Amino acid sequence: MGLTGKISSGVLVLILLLSLAAPLIVPFDPDAIDLDSLRQPPTSKHLLGTDNKGRDILARILHGGRISISISLFAALISMTIGMAVGLASGYGGGKTDTVLMSLVDLILSFPAFLLAIGISIVLGEGIYTVMIALSVVGWASFARLIRGHVLSLKESAFIEAARSLGCNNSRIVLVHILPQCVPLALVMAGLKAGGYILTEAGLSFLGLGAQPPTATWGSMISASRVFINSAPWMVFSPGIMIAVTAVCFNLLGDALKEKYDIRIDREF
Amino acid sequence: MKKLLLTIPLLLGITFITFSLTKALPGDPVYSIVGERSSPEIIEKIRKEIGADKSIVRQYGGYIKLLMQGELGRSYFTSRKVSDDICVKFPNTMRLAVASMLIAAPLGIFLGFIAAKKRGSPADRIITLLSVSGISVPVFWSGLLLMLFFSLRLRLLPPSGTGGVRYLLLPAITLSLPAIATLVRVTRVTVLDIMDMPFIRTARAKGIRESGISAIHIFKNALIPVITIIGLELGSYLNGAVLTETIFGWNGIGRYAMEGIIKRDYPVIMGCLLVGTLVFIFINIIVDVIYHYADPRVRVHGTDR
Repeated sequence: MGLTGKISSGVLVLILLLSLAAPLIVPFDPDAIDLDSLRQPPTSKHLLGTDNKGRDILARILHGGRISISISLFAALISMTIGMAVGLASGYGGGKTDTVLMSLVDLILSFPAFLLAIGISIVLGEGIYTVMIALSVVGWASFARLIRGHVLSLKESAFIEAARSLGCNNSRIVLVHILPQCVPLALVMAGLKAGGYILTEAGLSFLGLGAQPPTATWGSMISASRVFINSAPWMVFSPGIMIAVTAVCFNLLGDALKEKYDIRIDREF
Repeated sequence: MKKLLLTIPLLLGITFITFSLTKALPGDPVYSIVGERSSPEIIEKIRKEIGADKSIVRQYGGYIKLLMQGELGRSYFTSRKVSDDICVKFPNTMRLAVASMLIAAPLGIFLGFIAAKKRGSPADRIITLLSVSGISVPVFWSGLLLMLFFSLRLRLLPPSGTGGVRYLLLPAITLSLPAIATLVRVTRVTVLDIMDMPFIRTARAKGIRESGISAIHIFKNALIPVITIIGLELGSYLNGAVLTETIFGWNGIGRYAMEGIIKRDYPVIMGCLLVGTLVFIFINIIVDVIYHYADPRVRVHGTDR
Protein backbone atom coordinates (compact mmCIF):
# COMPACT_ATOMS: atom_id res chain seq x y z
CA MET A 1 0.00 0.00 0.00
CA GLY A 2 1.27 3.45 -0.88
CA LEU A 3 2.01 6.32 1.43
CA THR A 4 -1.49 7.82 1.28
CA GLY A 5 -3.00 4.45 2.17
CA LYS A 6 -0.73 4.12 5.19
CA ILE A 7 -1.34 7.68 6.37
CA SER A 8 -5.09 7.47 5.98
CA SER A 9 -5.39 4.13 7.77
CA GLY A 10 -3.12 5.54 10.48
CA VAL A 11 -5.35 8.57 10.94
CA LEU A 12 -8.45 6.37 11.05
CA VAL A 13 -6.94 4.14 13.73
CA LEU A 14 -5.92 7.25 15.66
CA ILE A 15 -9.43 8.72 15.54
CA LEU A 16 -10.89 5.38 16.60
CA LEU A 17 -8.45 4.99 19.51
CA LEU A 18 -9.01 8.55 20.69
CA SER A 19 -12.78 8.02 20.67
CA LEU A 20 -12.49 4.74 22.54
CA ALA A 21 -10.18 6.30 25.11
CA ALA A 22 -12.32 9.44 25.38
CA PRO A 23 -12.94 9.29 29.17
CA LEU A 24 -9.18 9.03 29.76
CA ILE A 25 -8.38 12.00 27.56
CA VAL A 26 -11.10 14.48 28.45
CA PRO A 27 -12.19 14.80 32.07
CA PHE A 28 -15.64 16.11 31.10
CA ASP A 29 -18.90 14.22 30.79
CA PRO A 30 -20.07 14.75 27.19
CA ASP A 31 -23.69 15.24 28.26
CA ALA A 32 -23.12 17.23 31.48
CA ILE A 33 -24.74 20.65 31.26
CA ASP A 34 -22.66 23.46 32.78
CA LEU A 35 -24.53 26.74 32.90
CA ASP A 36 -21.44 28.65 34.06
CA SER A 37 -19.59 28.07 30.81
CA LEU A 38 -22.04 28.57 27.97
CA ARG A 39 -20.63 28.94 24.46
CA GLN A 40 -17.04 29.56 25.48
CA PRO A 41 -14.49 29.81 22.71
CA PRO A 42 -11.58 27.34 22.87
CA THR A 43 -9.51 27.74 26.03
CA SER A 44 -6.85 25.64 27.72
CA LYS A 45 -9.57 24.09 29.88
CA HIS A 46 -12.00 23.39 27.06
CA LEU A 47 -9.69 22.75 24.10
CA LEU A 48 -12.44 23.07 21.49
CA GLY A 49 -14.69 25.35 23.50
CA THR A 50 -18.13 24.62 24.89
CA ASP A 51 -21.56 24.49 23.27
CA ASN A 52 -24.81 26.31 24.01
CA LYS A 53 -25.41 24.13 27.07
CA GLY A 54 -21.87 24.50 28.38
CA ARG A 55 -20.90 20.97 27.37
CA ASP A 56 -17.28 20.33 26.42
CA ILE A 57 -17.10 20.04 22.63
CA LEU A 58 -13.98 17.86 22.57
CA ALA A 59 -15.65 15.35 24.89
CA ARG A 60 -18.76 15.35 22.73
CA ILE A 61 -16.73 14.92 19.55
CA LEU A 62 -14.78 11.97 20.89
CA HIS A 63 -17.88 10.26 22.32
CA GLY A 64 -19.81 11.10 19.17
CA GLY A 65 -17.00 9.58 17.12
CA ARG A 66 -17.66 6.21 18.72
CA ILE A 67 -21.20 6.29 17.43
CA SER A 68 -20.55 7.78 14.00
CA ILE A 69 -17.63 5.49 13.19
CA SER A 70 -19.12 2.30 14.59
CA ILE A 71 -22.39 2.88 12.73
CA SER A 72 -20.50 3.32 9.48
CA LEU A 73 -18.22 0.35 10.02
CA PHE A 74 -21.02 -1.98 11.05
CA ALA A 75 -23.20 -0.83 8.18
CA ALA A 76 -20.31 -1.41 5.78
CA LEU A 77 -19.80 -4.88 7.25
CA ILE A 78 -23.47 -5.80 7.08
CA SER A 79 -23.96 -4.55 3.54
CA MET A 80 -20.74 -6.28 2.48
CA THR A 81 -21.92 -9.60 3.92
CA ILE A 82 -25.38 -9.40 2.37
CA GLY A 83 -23.97 -8.08 -0.89
CA MET A 84 -21.41 -10.89 -1.12
CA ALA A 85 -23.98 -13.58 -0.36
CA VAL A 86 -26.37 -12.21 -2.97
CA GLY A 87 -23.61 -11.59 -5.48
CA LEU A 88 -22.27 -15.13 -5.14
CA ALA A 89 -25.72 -16.70 -5.34
CA SER A 90 -26.69 -14.57 -8.28
CA GLY A 91 -23.46 -14.86 -10.23
CA TYR A 92 -22.80 -18.53 -9.63
CA GLY A 93 -26.39 -19.68 -9.55
CA GLY A 94 -27.42 -17.84 -12.70
CA GLY A 95 -30.80 -18.46 -14.29
CA LYS A 96 -33.94 -17.45 -12.41
CA THR A 97 -32.12 -16.77 -9.13
CA ASP A 98 -29.95 -14.30 -10.97
CA THR A 99 -32.88 -12.55 -12.64
CA VAL A 100 -34.84 -12.17 -9.41
CA LEU A 101 -31.93 -11.04 -7.28
CA MET A 102 -30.64 -8.60 -9.86
CA SER A 103 -34.08 -7.04 -10.36
CA LEU A 104 -34.12 -6.44 -6.63
CA VAL A 105 -30.68 -4.85 -6.86
CA ASP A 106 -31.79 -2.64 -9.76
CA LEU A 107 -34.83 -1.62 -7.77
CA ILE A 108 -32.79 -0.51 -4.77
CA LEU A 109 -30.27 1.28 -6.98
CA SER A 110 -32.97 3.22 -8.78
CA PHE A 111 -33.82 5.13 -5.62
CA PRO A 112 -31.79 8.20 -4.74
CA ALA A 113 -29.84 6.66 -1.84
CA PHE A 114 -30.22 9.36 0.77
CA LEU A 115 -33.96 9.72 0.19
CA LEU A 116 -34.50 5.98 0.59
CA ALA A 117 -32.44 6.04 3.79
CA ILE A 118 -34.66 8.87 5.07
CA GLY A 119 -37.79 6.89 4.20
CA ILE A 120 -36.58 3.79 6.02
CA SER A 121 -35.45 5.75 9.08
CA ILE A 122 -38.83 7.42 9.35
CA VAL A 123 -40.71 4.15 9.17
CA LEU A 124 -38.48 2.41 11.70
CA GLY A 125 -38.37 5.39 14.05
CA GLU A 126 -35.22 7.35 14.76
CA GLY A 127 -32.26 5.80 16.57
CA ILE A 128 -28.78 4.37 16.15
CA TYR A 129 -29.86 0.91 15.00
CA THR A 130 -32.30 2.39 12.54
CA VAL A 131 -29.51 4.32 10.88
CA MET A 132 -27.43 1.17 10.66
CA ILE A 133 -30.30 -0.76 9.10
CA ALA A 134 -31.18 2.07 6.70
CA LEU A 135 -27.56 2.34 5.51
CA SER A 136 -27.29 -1.42 5.01
CA VAL A 137 -30.60 -1.77 3.20
CA VAL A 138 -29.56 0.95 0.78
CA GLY A 139 -25.94 -0.13 0.51
CA TRP A 140 -25.86 -3.90 -0.06
CA ALA A 141 -27.11 -3.61 -3.64
CA SER A 142 -23.97 -2.08 -5.11
CA PHE A 143 -21.84 -4.76 -3.39
CA ALA A 144 -24.06 -7.45 -4.86
CA ARG A 145 -23.78 -6.05 -8.38
CA LEU A 146 -20.02 -5.71 -8.12
CA ILE A 147 -19.45 -9.20 -6.70
CA ARG A 148 -21.80 -10.75 -9.23
CA GLY A 149 -19.81 -9.27 -12.10
CA HIS A 150 -16.60 -10.63 -10.63
CA VAL A 151 -18.09 -14.08 -10.03
CA LEU A 152 -19.30 -14.21 -13.62
CA SER A 153 -15.79 -13.66 -14.93
CA LEU A 154 -14.26 -16.08 -12.41
CA LYS A 155 -16.77 -18.79 -13.28
CA GLU A 156 -15.30 -19.11 -16.75
CA SER A 157 -11.68 -19.22 -15.65
CA ALA A 158 -9.49 -22.28 -15.96
CA PHE A 159 -8.92 -22.94 -12.27
CA ILE A 160 -12.64 -23.27 -11.65
CA GLU A 161 -12.91 -25.71 -14.49
CA ALA A 162 -9.96 -27.60 -13.02
CA ALA A 163 -11.63 -27.69 -9.62
CA ARG A 164 -14.81 -28.98 -11.18
CA SER A 165 -13.05 -31.69 -13.13
CA LEU A 166 -11.31 -32.78 -9.94
CA GLY A 167 -14.77 -33.45 -8.54
CA CYS A 168 -15.40 -30.39 -6.35
CA ASN A 169 -19.07 -29.86 -5.69
CA ASN A 170 -20.70 -26.45 -6.12
CA SER A 171 -20.58 -25.35 -2.51
CA ARG A 172 -16.89 -26.17 -2.29
CA ILE A 173 -16.17 -24.26 -5.48
CA VAL A 174 -18.05 -21.22 -4.25
CA LEU A 175 -16.71 -21.20 -0.70
CA VAL A 176 -13.12 -22.31 -1.26
CA HIS A 177 -12.31 -21.12 -4.75
CA ILE A 178 -14.53 -18.17 -5.59
CA LEU A 179 -15.28 -16.47 -2.28
CA PRO A 180 -11.63 -15.71 -1.35
CA GLN A 181 -11.12 -14.15 -4.78
CA CYS A 182 -13.95 -11.73 -4.10
CA VAL A 183 -12.72 -10.54 -0.73
CA PRO A 184 -10.26 -7.85 -1.91
CA LEU A 185 -12.89 -6.39 -4.20
CA ALA A 186 -15.44 -6.34 -1.40
CA LEU A 187 -12.94 -4.72 0.97
CA VAL A 188 -12.17 -1.92 -1.48
CA MET A 189 -15.86 -1.28 -1.89
CA ALA A 190 -16.34 -1.40 1.88
CA GLY A 191 -13.67 1.26 2.35
CA LEU A 192 -15.27 3.56 -0.20
CA LYS A 193 -18.73 2.83 1.19
CA ALA A 194 -17.72 3.53 4.77
CA GLY A 195 -16.65 7.00 3.65
CA GLY A 196 -20.07 7.55 2.14
CA TYR A 197 -21.80 6.09 5.21
CA ILE A 198 -20.05 8.58 7.49
CA LEU A 199 -21.63 11.33 5.41
CA THR A 200 -25.05 9.73 5.22
CA GLU A 201 -25.08 9.02 8.94
CA ALA A 202 -24.13 12.64 9.57
CA GLY A 203 -26.90 13.79 7.23
CA LEU A 204 -29.51 11.62 8.94
CA SER A 205 -28.36 12.84 12.37
CA PHE A 206 -28.49 16.38 11.05
CA LEU A 207 -32.14 15.78 10.16
CA GLY A 208 -32.78 14.43 13.65
CA LEU A 209 -33.23 10.86 12.44
CA GLY A 210 -30.12 9.41 14.07
CA ALA A 211 -29.09 9.10 17.71
CA GLN A 212 -31.36 11.18 19.89
CA PRO A 213 -30.30 14.01 22.20
CA PRO A 214 -28.47 14.38 24.48
CA THR A 215 -26.30 11.69 22.84
CA ALA A 216 -23.77 13.41 20.61
CA THR A 217 -23.03 12.47 17.03
CA TRP A 218 -21.09 14.65 14.63
CA GLY A 219 -24.10 15.35 12.47
CA SER A 220 -26.42 16.25 15.32
CA MET A 221 -23.76 18.52 16.85
CA ILE A 222 -23.69 20.57 13.66
CA SER A 223 -27.47 20.57 13.47
CA ALA A 224 -27.80 21.84 17.05
CA SER A 225 -25.19 24.57 16.61
CA ARG A 226 -26.52 25.86 13.27
CA VAL A 227 -28.29 28.78 14.90
CA PHE A 228 -25.10 29.88 16.64
CA ILE A 229 -23.02 29.92 13.46
CA ASN A 230 -22.35 33.63 13.72
CA SER A 231 -21.85 34.04 17.46
CA ALA A 232 -20.10 30.74 18.17
CA PRO A 233 -18.66 29.33 14.93
CA TRP A 234 -16.29 26.97 16.78
CA MET A 235 -19.33 24.88 17.64
CA VAL A 236 -19.81 24.16 13.95
CA PHE A 237 -16.15 23.89 12.87
CA SER A 238 -14.86 20.90 14.77
CA PRO A 239 -17.57 18.29 14.19
CA GLY A 240 -17.54 19.11 10.47
CA ILE A 241 -13.78 18.73 10.31
CA MET A 242 -14.07 15.33 11.99
CA ILE A 243 -16.67 14.16 9.48
CA ALA A 244 -14.61 15.41 6.56
CA VAL A 245 -11.30 13.97 7.79
CA THR A 246 -12.81 10.57 8.55
CA ALA A 247 -14.60 10.40 5.21
CA VAL A 248 -11.47 11.53 3.33
CA CYS A 249 -9.43 8.83 5.06
CA PHE A 250 -11.94 6.09 4.22
CA ASN A 251 -12.03 7.24 0.61
CA LEU A 252 -8.23 7.46 0.32
CA LEU A 253 -7.92 4.05 1.94
CA GLY A 254 -10.41 2.64 -0.55
CA ASP A 255 -8.49 4.23 -3.42
CA ALA A 256 -5.19 2.90 -2.10
CA LEU A 257 -6.58 -0.62 -1.79
CA LYS A 258 -8.03 -0.28 -5.26
CA GLU A 259 -4.59 0.50 -6.63
CA LYS A 260 -2.94 -2.24 -4.61
CA TYR A 261 -5.23 -4.97 -5.88
CA ASP A 262 -5.46 -3.35 -9.30
CA ILE A 263 -9.24 -3.21 -9.18
CA ARG A 264 -11.54 -1.14 -11.32
CA ILE A 265 -14.93 -0.04 -10.10
CA ASP A 266 -16.56 1.73 -12.98
CA ARG A 267 -19.78 2.99 -11.51
CA GLU A 268 -18.85 3.54 -7.97
CA PHE A 269 -22.17 3.88 -6.30
CA MET B 1 -36.48 0.97 -26.38
CA LYS B 2 -36.12 -2.21 -24.38
CA LYS B 3 -34.83 -0.09 -21.56
CA LEU B 4 -37.96 2.07 -21.63
CA LEU B 5 -40.15 -1.02 -21.29
CA LEU B 6 -38.05 -2.20 -18.39
CA THR B 7 -38.92 0.93 -16.46
CA ILE B 8 -42.55 -0.17 -16.12
CA PRO B 9 -41.87 -3.04 -13.69
CA LEU B 10 -39.32 -0.76 -12.09
CA LEU B 11 -41.93 1.93 -11.49
CA LEU B 12 -44.31 -0.68 -10.10
CA GLY B 13 -41.60 -1.91 -7.77
CA ILE B 14 -40.82 1.59 -6.59
CA THR B 15 -44.43 2.49 -5.95
CA PHE B 16 -44.77 -0.80 -4.11
CA ILE B 17 -41.87 0.14 -1.86
CA THR B 18 -43.23 3.63 -1.15
CA PHE B 19 -46.65 2.04 -0.59
CA SER B 20 -45.16 -0.42 1.90
CA LEU B 21 -43.34 2.42 3.62
CA THR B 22 -46.64 4.31 3.91
CA LYS B 23 -48.31 1.19 5.30
CA ALA B 24 -45.51 0.59 7.77
CA LEU B 25 -45.65 4.09 9.20
CA PRO B 26 -46.44 4.31 12.88
CA GLY B 27 -50.06 5.24 13.66
CA ASP B 28 -53.37 4.16 12.14
CA PRO B 29 -54.81 6.58 9.57
CA VAL B 30 -58.33 5.80 10.78
CA TYR B 31 -57.51 6.99 14.26
CA SER B 32 -55.93 10.13 12.91
CA ILE B 33 -59.25 10.94 11.18
CA VAL B 34 -61.72 10.11 13.95
CA GLY B 35 -59.54 10.51 17.03
CA GLU B 36 -58.52 7.93 19.59
CA ARG B 37 -61.74 7.74 21.57
CA SER B 38 -64.42 7.05 18.97
CA SER B 39 -66.81 4.14 19.22
CA PRO B 40 -65.95 0.90 17.39
CA GLU B 41 -68.91 1.39 15.01
CA ILE B 42 -67.64 4.76 13.76
CA ILE B 43 -64.14 3.38 13.37
CA GLU B 44 -65.51 0.47 11.37
CA LYS B 45 -67.55 2.86 9.20
CA ILE B 46 -64.59 5.09 8.43
CA ARG B 47 -62.45 2.06 7.80
CA LYS B 48 -64.96 0.98 5.13
CA GLU B 49 -65.20 4.50 3.72
CA ILE B 50 -61.48 4.95 3.15
CA GLY B 51 -61.11 1.34 2.06
CA ALA B 52 -58.83 0.21 4.87
CA ASP B 53 -60.82 -3.02 5.18
CA LYS B 54 -59.95 -4.18 1.69
CA SER B 55 -57.09 -6.54 0.90
CA ILE B 56 -53.59 -5.17 0.60
CA VAL B 57 -53.57 -5.86 -3.14
CA ARG B 58 -56.76 -3.83 -3.67
CA GLN B 59 -55.36 -1.05 -1.52
CA TYR B 60 -52.19 -1.01 -3.59
CA GLY B 61 -54.31 -0.85 -6.75
CA GLY B 62 -56.18 2.12 -5.34
CA TYR B 63 -52.90 3.76 -4.42
CA ILE B 64 -51.59 3.40 -7.98
CA LYS B 65 -54.85 4.79 -9.36
CA LEU B 66 -54.57 7.86 -7.14
CA LEU B 67 -50.94 8.33 -8.12
CA MET B 68 -51.91 8.25 -11.79
CA GLN B 69 -54.31 11.11 -11.08
CA GLY B 70 -51.46 13.00 -9.46
CA GLU B 71 -52.97 12.65 -6.00
CA LEU B 72 -50.39 12.46 -3.22
CA GLY B 73 -52.66 13.13 -0.25
CA ARG B 74 -52.96 16.13 1.99
CA SER B 75 -50.58 17.53 4.54
CA TYR B 76 -51.58 16.63 8.11
CA PHE B 77 -50.88 20.18 9.23
CA THR B 78 -51.84 22.62 6.50
CA SER B 79 -54.47 20.35 4.84
CA ARG B 80 -53.16 21.56 1.49
CA LYS B 81 -52.72 19.05 -1.27
CA VAL B 82 -49.16 17.73 -1.32
CA SER B 83 -49.23 17.69 -5.12
CA ASP B 84 -50.13 21.42 -5.22
CA ASP B 85 -47.31 22.29 -2.84
CA ILE B 86 -44.86 20.23 -4.85
CA CYS B 87 -45.92 21.97 -8.08
CA VAL B 88 -45.14 25.34 -6.49
CA LYS B 89 -41.79 24.27 -5.05
CA PHE B 90 -40.53 22.08 -7.85
CA PRO B 91 -39.52 24.94 -10.23
CA ASN B 92 -37.40 26.47 -7.45
CA THR B 93 -35.64 23.18 -6.93
CA MET B 94 -35.04 22.81 -10.66
CA ARG B 95 -33.54 26.29 -10.81
CA LEU B 96 -31.13 25.43 -8.04
CA ALA B 97 -30.28 22.09 -9.65
CA VAL B 98 -29.55 23.62 -13.03
CA ALA B 99 -27.56 26.47 -11.51
CA SER B 100 -25.37 24.12 -9.51
CA MET B 101 -24.80 21.94 -12.57
CA LEU B 102 -23.85 25.01 -14.63
CA ILE B 103 -21.14 25.66 -12.07
CA ALA B 104 -20.11 22.04 -11.63
CA ALA B 105 -19.96 20.75 -15.21
CA PRO B 106 -17.40 23.13 -16.77
CA LEU B 107 -15.24 23.26 -13.63
CA GLY B 108 -15.31 19.52 -13.01
CA ILE B 109 -14.57 18.57 -16.59
CA PHE B 110 -11.81 21.17 -16.91
CA LEU B 111 -10.06 20.15 -13.68
CA GLY B 112 -10.38 16.45 -14.46
CA PHE B 113 -8.91 17.04 -17.90
CA ILE B 114 -5.95 18.96 -16.49
CA ALA B 115 -5.32 16.30 -13.86
CA ALA B 116 -5.27 13.53 -16.46
CA LYS B 117 -3.08 15.41 -18.94
CA LYS B 118 -0.56 16.21 -16.23
CA ARG B 119 -0.73 12.82 -14.57
CA GLY B 120 1.51 12.46 -11.52
CA SER B 121 2.37 16.16 -11.41
CA PRO B 122 1.74 18.31 -8.33
CA ALA B 123 -1.29 19.77 -10.12
CA ASP B 124 -2.75 16.29 -10.53
CA ARG B 125 -2.13 15.47 -6.88
CA ILE B 126 -3.75 18.66 -5.66
CA ILE B 127 -6.78 18.26 -7.90
CA THR B 128 -7.19 14.61 -6.90
CA LEU B 129 -6.93 15.42 -3.21
CA LEU B 130 -9.42 18.27 -3.59
CA SER B 131 -11.84 15.98 -5.36
CA VAL B 132 -11.59 13.37 -2.60
CA SER B 133 -12.31 16.16 -0.12
CA GLY B 134 -15.23 17.27 -2.26
CA ILE B 135 -17.02 13.95 -1.91
CA SER B 136 -16.11 13.75 1.78
CA VAL B 137 -17.29 17.11 3.09
CA PRO B 138 -20.94 17.11 4.14
CA VAL B 139 -22.95 19.72 2.19
CA PHE B 140 -24.69 20.98 5.29
CA TRP B 141 -21.31 21.85 6.76
CA SER B 142 -19.72 23.44 3.71
CA GLY B 143 -22.97 25.35 3.22
CA LEU B 144 -22.84 26.71 6.75
CA LEU B 145 -19.20 27.75 6.33
CA LEU B 146 -19.93 29.51 3.02
CA MET B 147 -22.85 31.26 4.67
CA LEU B 148 -20.74 32.31 7.64
CA PHE B 149 -17.99 33.67 5.43
CA PHE B 150 -19.83 35.33 2.55
CA SER B 151 -23.05 36.42 4.19
CA LEU B 152 -22.47 36.91 7.87
CA ARG B 153 -18.87 38.14 7.85
CA LEU B 154 -18.31 39.77 4.45
CA ARG B 155 -22.01 40.61 3.97
CA LEU B 156 -21.75 40.07 0.22
CA LEU B 157 -24.76 37.79 -0.26
CA PRO B 158 -27.99 37.20 1.63
CA PRO B 159 -27.71 34.24 4.04
CA SER B 160 -31.09 32.77 3.22
CA GLY B 161 -34.26 33.14 1.22
CA THR B 162 -35.62 32.32 -2.22
CA GLY B 163 -35.13 34.74 -5.08
CA GLY B 164 -32.80 35.92 -7.80
CA VAL B 165 -29.17 35.20 -8.55
CA ARG B 166 -27.95 36.73 -5.30
CA TYR B 167 -29.99 34.22 -3.34
CA LEU B 168 -29.19 31.40 -5.70
CA LEU B 169 -25.41 31.71 -5.62
CA LEU B 170 -24.48 30.26 -2.23
CA PRO B 171 -26.75 27.18 -2.26
CA ALA B 172 -25.77 26.50 -5.87
CA ILE B 173 -22.06 26.62 -5.02
CA THR B 174 -22.63 24.39 -1.99
CA LEU B 175 -24.45 21.81 -4.04
CA SER B 176 -21.93 21.96 -6.85
CA LEU B 177 -18.98 20.95 -4.64
CA PRO B 178 -19.70 17.19 -4.49
CA ALA B 179 -20.78 17.25 -8.15
CA ILE B 180 -17.48 18.90 -9.16
CA ALA B 181 -15.59 16.29 -7.18
CA THR B 182 -17.38 13.37 -8.84
CA LEU B 183 -16.98 14.90 -12.28
CA VAL B 184 -13.25 15.42 -11.73
CA ARG B 185 -12.80 11.79 -10.73
CA VAL B 186 -14.75 10.43 -13.66
CA THR B 187 -13.24 12.78 -16.24
CA ARG B 188 -9.74 12.02 -15.03
CA VAL B 189 -10.14 8.24 -15.19
CA THR B 190 -11.87 8.39 -18.56
CA VAL B 191 -9.30 10.67 -20.15
CA LEU B 192 -6.46 8.51 -18.80
CA ASP B 193 -8.09 5.45 -20.38
CA ILE B 194 -8.52 7.17 -23.71
CA MET B 195 -4.96 8.46 -23.72
CA ASP B 196 -3.70 4.87 -23.67
CA MET B 197 -5.72 3.88 -26.71
CA PRO B 198 -4.03 3.08 -30.01
CA PHE B 199 -5.98 5.70 -31.97
CA ILE B 200 -4.40 8.47 -29.89
CA ARG B 201 -0.95 7.14 -30.78
CA THR B 202 -2.03 7.00 -34.40
CA ALA B 203 -3.21 10.60 -34.25
CA ARG B 204 0.06 11.64 -32.70
CA ALA B 205 2.02 9.70 -35.32
CA LYS B 206 0.10 11.46 -38.03
CA GLY B 207 1.49 14.71 -36.66
CA ILE B 208 -1.67 16.21 -35.24
CA ARG B 209 -0.90 18.92 -32.71
CA GLU B 210 -1.31 17.98 -29.04
CA SER B 211 -4.04 20.59 -28.59
CA GLY B 212 -5.91 19.12 -31.54
CA ILE B 213 -5.68 15.64 -30.09
CA SER B 214 -7.00 16.90 -26.76
CA ALA B 215 -9.84 18.83 -28.28
CA ILE B 216 -11.04 16.34 -30.85
CA HIS B 217 -9.89 12.83 -30.09
CA ILE B 218 -9.87 12.79 -26.32
CA PHE B 219 -12.56 15.26 -25.44
CA LYS B 220 -15.17 13.86 -27.78
CA ASN B 221 -14.69 10.34 -26.48
CA ALA B 222 -14.61 11.39 -22.85
CA LEU B 223 -17.84 13.29 -23.18
CA ILE B 224 -20.12 10.24 -23.07
CA PRO B 225 -19.28 8.88 -19.61
CA VAL B 226 -19.19 12.45 -18.40
CA ILE B 227 -22.72 13.09 -19.66
CA THR B 228 -23.84 10.01 -17.74
CA ILE B 229 -22.38 11.36 -14.54
CA ILE B 230 -23.91 14.79 -15.08
CA GLY B 231 -27.27 13.08 -15.50
CA LEU B 232 -26.83 10.90 -12.44
CA GLU B 233 -25.74 13.88 -10.39
CA LEU B 234 -28.73 15.91 -11.53
CA GLY B 235 -31.01 13.00 -10.75
CA SER B 236 -29.65 12.36 -7.29
CA TYR B 237 -29.68 16.07 -6.70
CA LEU B 238 -32.52 15.85 -4.18
CA ASN B 239 -30.20 13.83 -1.92
CA GLY B 240 -28.17 16.92 -1.19
CA ALA B 241 -31.00 19.37 -1.68
CA VAL B 242 -32.86 18.25 1.44
CA LEU B 243 -29.94 19.49 3.51
CA THR B 244 -28.81 22.45 1.40
CA GLU B 245 -32.23 23.97 0.83
CA THR B 246 -32.92 23.73 4.54
CA ILE B 247 -29.77 25.59 5.48
CA PHE B 248 -30.31 28.37 2.98
CA GLY B 249 -34.07 28.58 3.44
CA TRP B 250 -34.60 27.89 -0.26
CA ASN B 251 -38.28 27.26 -0.90
CA GLY B 252 -37.89 23.98 -2.79
CA ILE B 253 -38.81 20.31 -2.49
CA GLY B 254 -35.81 19.58 -0.30
CA ARG B 255 -36.83 22.03 2.40
CA TYR B 256 -40.42 20.90 2.06
CA ALA B 257 -39.29 17.33 2.74
CA MET B 258 -37.23 18.48 5.72
CA GLU B 259 -40.21 20.32 7.21
CA GLY B 260 -42.26 17.18 6.70
CA ILE B 261 -39.62 15.13 8.51
CA ILE B 262 -39.49 17.47 11.47
CA LYS B 263 -43.28 17.56 11.85
CA ARG B 264 -43.69 13.86 10.97
CA ASP B 265 -46.02 14.96 8.19
CA TYR B 266 -46.05 11.56 6.46
CA PRO B 267 -47.97 12.44 3.26
CA VAL B 268 -45.49 15.25 2.60
CA ILE B 269 -42.47 13.01 3.20
CA MET B 270 -43.77 10.19 1.03
CA GLY B 271 -44.80 12.63 -1.70
CA CYS B 272 -41.31 14.13 -1.83
CA LEU B 273 -39.71 10.68 -1.73
CA LEU B 274 -41.84 9.53 -4.64
CA VAL B 275 -41.32 12.66 -6.73
CA GLY B 276 -37.58 12.58 -6.06
CA THR B 277 -37.36 8.97 -7.15
CA LEU B 278 -39.46 9.52 -10.26
CA VAL B 279 -37.27 12.44 -11.30
CA PHE B 280 -34.20 10.29 -10.69
CA ILE B 281 -35.52 7.53 -12.96
CA PHE B 282 -36.78 9.96 -15.57
CA ILE B 283 -33.37 11.62 -15.86
CA ASN B 284 -31.71 8.21 -16.09
CA ILE B 285 -33.93 7.38 -19.04
CA ILE B 286 -33.05 10.68 -20.73
CA VAL B 287 -29.37 9.95 -20.19
CA ASP B 288 -29.81 6.55 -21.79
CA VAL B 289 -31.47 8.14 -24.80
CA ILE B 290 -28.72 10.74 -25.15
CA TYR B 291 -26.21 7.95 -24.82
CA HIS B 292 -27.91 6.08 -27.59
CA TYR B 293 -27.58 9.01 -29.98
CA ALA B 294 -24.20 10.29 -28.86
CA ASP B 295 -22.36 7.01 -29.15
CA PRO B 296 -22.78 4.93 -32.32
CA ARG B 297 -21.12 1.99 -30.59
CA VAL B 298 -24.03 1.70 -28.15
CA ARG B 299 -26.45 1.48 -31.02
CA VAL B 300 -24.49 -1.38 -32.57
CA HIS B 301 -23.73 -3.38 -29.44
CA GLY B 302 -26.96 -2.77 -27.56
CA THR B 303 -27.50 -0.65 -24.51
CA ASP B 304 -24.72 -2.13 -22.46
CA ARG B 305 -22.85 0.46 -20.48
